[in-house]
Amino acid sequence: MAGAIIENMSSKKLVIFGVILLLFQALSFMVGGLIAPSPTSVMLYMANKCVDTAKSHQSTKWFMPWGPNKCEIIRSFDEAMAKKIEANNIVFAVHIPQQNMEMSPWFQFMLVILQLDIAFKMHNQIEEGALATVDVALAYRDDTLSEWTEMAHSVEQRELKCKFNTQKNYENEGRYYDCDLLPFMELGSVSHKYYLLNIRLPVHERKKINVGIGEVKDIQLVGIHQNGGFTKVWFAMKTFLTPSILIVLVWYWRRITLMTRPPVLLEKVIFALGISMTFINIPVEWFSVGFDWTWMLLFGDIRQGIFYSMLLSFWIIFCGEHLMDQTERNRFSIYWKQVGPIVFGSFCLFIFDMCERGVQLTNPFYSIWASDVGTELAMAFIVVAGICACLYFLFLCFMVFQVFRNISGKRSSLPAMSKARRLHYEGLIFRFKFLMLVTLFCAAMTVIFFIISQVMEGHWQWGSQKLELNSAFFTGIYGMWNLYVFAIMFLYAPSHKRYGDNQSGGQCIISDTGASGEEIQLTTTITHVDGPTELYKMTGKAAQE
Amino acid sequence: MNLGWGRVSRALGWPSGSLLDSRRCVVALTLLTLIMQVVVEANSWWSLAMNPLLIPEAYIIGAQPLCSQLVGLSQGQKKLCQLYQDHMQYIGEGAKTGIRECQYQFRHRRWNCSTVDNSSVFGRVMQIGSRETAFTYAISAAGVVNAVSRACREGELSSCGCSRAARPKDLPRDWLWGGCGDNLNYGYRFSKEFVDAREREKSYPKGTAESARLLMNLHNNEAGRRTVSDLAHVSCKCHGVSGSCSLKTCWLQLADFRKVGDALKEKYDSAASMKLNSRGKMVQMHSKFNPPTSHDLVYIDGSPDYCLLNHTTGSLGTVGRLCNKTSEGMDGCELMCCGRGYDQYKAQVVERCHCKFHWCCYVKCKRCTKTVDQFVCK
Repeated sequence: MAGAIIENMSSKKLVIFGVILLLFQALSFMVGGLIAPSPTSVMLYMANKCVDTAKSHQSTKWFMPWGPNKCEIIRSFDEAMAKKIEANNIVFAVHIPQQNMEMSPWFQFMLVILQLDIAFKMHNQIEEGALATVDVALAYRDDTLSEWTEMAHSVEQRELKCKFNTQKNYENEGRYYDCDLLPFMELGSVSHKYYLLNIRLPVHERKKINVGIGEVKDIQLVGIHQNGGFTKVWFAMKTFLTPSILIVLVWYWRRITLMTRPPVLLEKVIFALGISMTFINIPVEWFSVGFDWTWMLLFGDIRQGIFYSMLLSFWIIFCGEHLMDQTERNRFSIYWKQVGPIVFGSFCLFIFDMCERGVQLTNPFYSIWASDVGTELAMAFIVVAGICACLYFLFLCFMVFQVFRNISGKRSSLPAMSKARRLHYEGLIFRFKFLMLVTLFCAAMTVIFFIISQVMEGHWQWGSQKLELNSAFFTGIYGMWNLYVFAIMFLYAPSHKRYGDNQSGGQCIISDTGASGEEIQLTTTITHVDGPTELYKMTGKAAQE
Repeated sequence: MNLGWGRVSRALGWPSGSLLDSRRCVVALTLLTLIMQVVVEANSWWSLAMNPLLIPEAYIIGAQPLCSQLVGLSQGQKKLCQLYQDHMQYIGEGAKTGIRECQYQFRHRRWNCSTVDNSSVFGRVMQIGSRETAFTYAISAAGVVNAVSRACREGELSSCGCSRAARPKDLPRDWLWGGCGDNLNYGYRFSKEFVDAREREKSYPKGTAESARLLMNLHNNEAGRRTVSDLAHVSCKCHGVSGSCSLKTCWLQLADFRKVGDALKEKYDSAASMKLNSRGKMVQMHSKFNPPTSHDLVYIDGSPDYCLLNHTTGSLGTVGRLCNKTSEGMDGCELMCCGRGYDQYKAQVVERCHCKFHWCCYVKCKRCTKTVDQFVCK
């Protein structure tokens, strides 16, 4: 690993390289901020109340809220009361999207949130821990004339968490409860143009179904989907980034294999980091435009998880390999203590994700948060993952601290060392400090932009130009980690200058013999020692400067 | 409370009944009202709230003459009606919600927002630029915002368009590129267009009483609409990887209309009295207070005496209203009956009790009767 490009590059070139990276960074922010719309959009729906007049409940009958085949609609339940329509005959119908619009595969995903408008009545209050049982059916069609095809049908239970903020008296009858939003549905792909939801709240007194849920006035749905424009920009970015990272990856590995020695652990880890970055970059999402692949959302989560656990492992191993202690390293097995929490934590999150999004592949109405057991399980997974994250950061901090302690220890003894050994240590220190700096910068940027995008309203007026902060956050951060991996692969690749050294001749060979005694010492202290040429080339270079 | 309502309408019935005794009078009255309409424009778009013509089916046929049949619309409003026929039903509904909320908020007041007839709706009281008028204008404008944006969410209106997101010009369709769905904004804009049309098409010389009234109406309409959008609250949902908050989507949610009523009632209590200055602008009567913002209600005339029936002001009086003997507030018999005293009698009230409810449309109750003391203003 000694003799990486970063050590051999002149400061001028290093600055130019840094500036280019910064330019690309700015570009990736601008792409999100100026071209892309906000990442997601919201559509609000108010369910229309249809009357199911048929005595026998035919399952094939679908209720349209508007349009030419619209169902028999009642405006309010007072009307239903007068017409002697019962709760079981009422179907809440929602058409997604609204009139004159159609959904598109570019929306990538759609999630729907349910909100019940429940009016307060003195004699009909929401009971403690009331469960709403929702019988829901989802259908799709691709043109306005064809029949609806059923996609999913399920009976779901959701706990009502409602508060009534004013006094409970007759005066305040008719005011609405403040209810928490309920997760309702999640689709991993939006491959059809029109969707129709038929929701029933069946009442069964003996089975205690939908009893004590108060007086439901309306059902509101909130549909969230990714924006087509954002998807396009995102895909374009991925399509551009994939070859760039891939080329550097191939180049990097070729450099490694060109060397006479086998690759050391750190080089392998950097290679693995590059692979996981490429894995997340490959724009397989393009297929989701043509195919109905509902698992794409889950797959995206998994890829992201792999990348982040790889990045975290990389930091640990990088610190470990620069510890400069006397123990034998360069083996993956000695890092199990540190990498273990990462793997375990990401595994927990994976299980959690499988429980939620995995089940949603078959039943889009499933939510792990809906049942008590599920909530506890989900919380357990998240807590364990959180503990793992804490453990990880403790380990990392401790290792960084150790490296710095060793650095200061080595620093004091540097002048006393022979030139070659000193340069080697200086190289290690420089490499380490550089990565620490860049990593800190990237982490700080991520946190800052995360906070900004959470706090700010979502967009930012800049003269007449509107800057979409959320999109800028996504493209910017994504671009940044790509550039980070790119820079690491490039800068930490073995330098090619040693090939030139052989041709430059004389001086090197002379010094080569001079330092052979030193070389023996180095093998005992430093884990991965390369051929002496790099060291002497370094010597020569330092002498030139 | 229901009983009180009955009383009010009966109290109304007397004078009009006695007027209509003679057939000749009817003709004279019609003529008179025609003239009156031209002069004072007693009719209002509020009448949409009362209009049985407003059934959705009527619009599917797309009957053009419908808009001209609707009484109470001004010229500009009729044009809007023709352009947006499907909206009319919801404007009517909005007006109805506004009126209902007004009646709830003022149920204990001497003026209780009662409707008089189907064309002028509130009668002559609205010709006075009082606090009550200010409230009525505000709440009905708010009702329209609420109803139109609700109709948008129901998918009933075809023109609830996309808000223009920044996007490259040659790309097709806003919806696919950046999504849409700002219903509140649409409701606000439409309400502004429709409700204010009436005031905007009039022009009075600066400094006249009419222009002051016009400014007042516009101000209060705006205050009503702003109250709706001020009270709309932001809800958010996190939906990033594993439910993390890296991806968060927020939206505006309309508040329960009762809250809009509450807020406007508070604004009614702190409404600012205004006058015209020499340059024809509205300024505050008492300049020591903070000037009203566009979210506050303003009025230019003092309220008439609502205690007694008065045909000139349009006050209905409080004779026959129910009052609360023990209360010391406005609903107390002392204040409500304006010191005229009250009659007490026992009434048998049939109440529903021991009820079983479903979430909708089903109540199984026993009937319990109880005797209550009721107090009615003399």
